[in-house]
Amino acid sequence: MKTRRLAELGLLAAVALIMFVIEMRIPNPFPIPGIKLGLANIVTVYAVFRYRPYETAMIVAVRVILGAVFGGNPSALLYSACGAVCCLLGMLLLRKILPEKQIWLCSIIGAMFHNCGQIAAAIAVMRTVSVAAYLPLLLVSGSLAGLFTGLTAQFLLKRIHPSS
Amino acid sequence: MTKQAKIIAAAAAAVFLIAVILSVYILRKTPENRIEIVQDGKLLYTFNLNTAENQSIRIPAADGGYNSVVIEDGTVRVETADCPDQTCVRMGTLKSEHLPLVCLPHKLIVRFAEEGAA
Repeated sequence: MKTRRLAELGLLAAVALIMFVIEMRIPNPFPIPGIKLGLANIVTVYAVFRYRPYETAMIVAVRVILGAVFGGNPSALLYSACGAVCCLLGMLLLRKILPEKQIWLCSIIGAMFHNCGQIAAAIAVMRTVSVAAYLPLLLVSGSLAGLFTGLTAQFLLKRIHPSS
Repeated sequence: MTKQAKIIAAAAAAVFLIAVILSVYILRKTPENRIEIVQDGKLLYTFNLNTAENQSIRIPAADGGYNSVVIEDGTVRVETADCPDQTCVRMGTLKSEHLPLVCLPHKLIVRFAEEGAA
């Protein structure tokens, strides 16, 4: 891998991590586990459309692991990792059929996949399916948050690469 | 929009609508009075909120932390916990049978008993 490419990936991972840490400082108005804005996913969505799949996976892996370290909540790692893997797989598949004009749509579906992954991890860890009741709530908030991060990534791409 | 994008958008909208309807259903208040406190898949306590005395139960977690569950005038809530996210505390009192109080870091669930269960 070229040094320049590596530096770019490192920069993107750092940006994602900074957004993750800033987001922790924003009080969450919804007292339901798993609901959050997911600002760091702006970087993920951007990377899905601009970098190769394995490069995006590297950024996400670094962000999820270091996010758990900085967040001081290692037990959240499993949930976020499961969600992130599902989200990434879903978005990488959609990337193939969706043009760059529909990044917001890709992001929404990605968020839904993320919620399904989170709940699957929660069911596995808590050994009860009753937590699945959270899925509809997470899906509603997740799609809205996904729309927001997706639109942000779309505007970002337009500004960073005005020619395309 | 391409045809595929339209199909995906329609599917996303359908999932969203179903989720909204289910959310409304899930957030309804329940007439059930019996509650269960479950940790890591094991049933620790059962109470009937109508008859249970006001009390505070300290539940230790596997990682050395704890949750303090309070039963008060027919309601139950997690009063304090030393988990980092405090979501279980901020969820307030248990209201819906479909939406248990959950502390993910301590694998603790406070929920209404299922229909017909002891």
